[in-house]
Amino acid sequence: MIYTKHTKVLILLVCLVLGFMLAMQLKTQGRQKTIPVQRAEELSERLRSAEKDRERLTVELESLKNGTNAFDKETERLRALAGESALQGKGIRLTIEDSTIKPAIGENKNLYIIHDEDLLRVINELRAAGAEAISINGQRLTANSEVRCAGPTVVVNEVRLAAPFVISAIGNPQTMESSLKIRGGVLENFKYWGINADLEKSDQVIIPAAKRGHNFEFAKAVPKDEETGAKKAEAGEEGKSK
Amino acid sequence: MIYAIIGLIIGIVAGIYAPGYIPKEYAAMFSGALMAGLDTAFGGLRAALEGAYDNTIFLSGFLANILLAMFFCYAGVLLGIDFYMVVILVLGMRIFQNLAIIRRLLLKK
Repeated sequence: MIYTKHTKVLILLVCLVLGFMLAMQLKTQGRQKTIPVQRAEELSERLRSAEKDRERLTVELESLKNGTNAFDKETERLRALAGESALQGKGIRLTIEDSTIKPAIGENKNLYIIHDEDLLRVINELRAAGAEAISINGQRLTANSEVRCAGPTVVVNEVRLAAPFVISAIGNPQTMESSLKIRGGVLENFKYWGINADLEKSDQVIIPAAKRGHNFEFAKAVPKDEETGAKKAEAGEEGKSK
Repeated sequence: MIYAIIGLIIGIVAGIYAPGYIPKEYAAMFSGALMAGLDTAFGGLRAALEGAYDNTIFLSGFLANILLAMFFCYAGVLLGIDFYMVVILVLGMRIFQNLAIIRRLLLKK
């Protein structure tokens, strides 16, 4: 074995380089936990697809939210139309009481009390004047509501009502008032018979919701594609009957 | 022998305190080079114990092995084959062989 000065220096240098490399490798390994390349690629691929999914779902969610908004609005409108929700707004309140005039002997006293027909005339007049919602003594008038004579009382929505009647209507107060007060109109007729009618305009008329719901027992919706056919058939029948 | 240990210690300390890290792309190549260096060092030790040590052979072996290992690893990266595995495997086997011979030589003494 020849140990020269060169050898010592050489060994020192080589070992120095080796130690340096070793330390670098250790440091690097300690810093970054090396993930196998394949695994990393797989993960990044999954991340990418997940991000894509997320974007797509965000868009979908947005459109669905808008959809439900429109749906809710439509439902609300239909509920108001069907009388399933209470409404408020500008309108009038008409209070009608039985006549205070005593009928002359032999005269029909039925002429001096309020009948279902009187109420129907008022309602008809209000609807013609553009009333959007009407109630009688808190009974909301819906598409199925009846106004019917029942002895001394009137039945609305299967509820017996007696005088005084309070008819509330939401709509243009001016129009409704003038259509009721028109010469030869409903209120003038009432006045003739001594029936007290008190008309009051209000900025805050509240019409309650109809208390009974209605289910269709016999009626069924016609499918959309058959509707045109049904219309044609109807038109034909009408033509025949004429 | 003393010089080798001193050199190692200085190198490790320098490596720990040196700034920067090995970039990820070169990690495979670097590990190959490290194995080559270790292999040469053990080869040198074995040669010294056998009495056949030669400065030139040692130095040239050190440099050539490292360069060759790095080249292999680089080629592997280019070709998309994990050549560095092969390099590390072969060099590791050689290190074990050298160690076995060194052990026997030391036991014989």
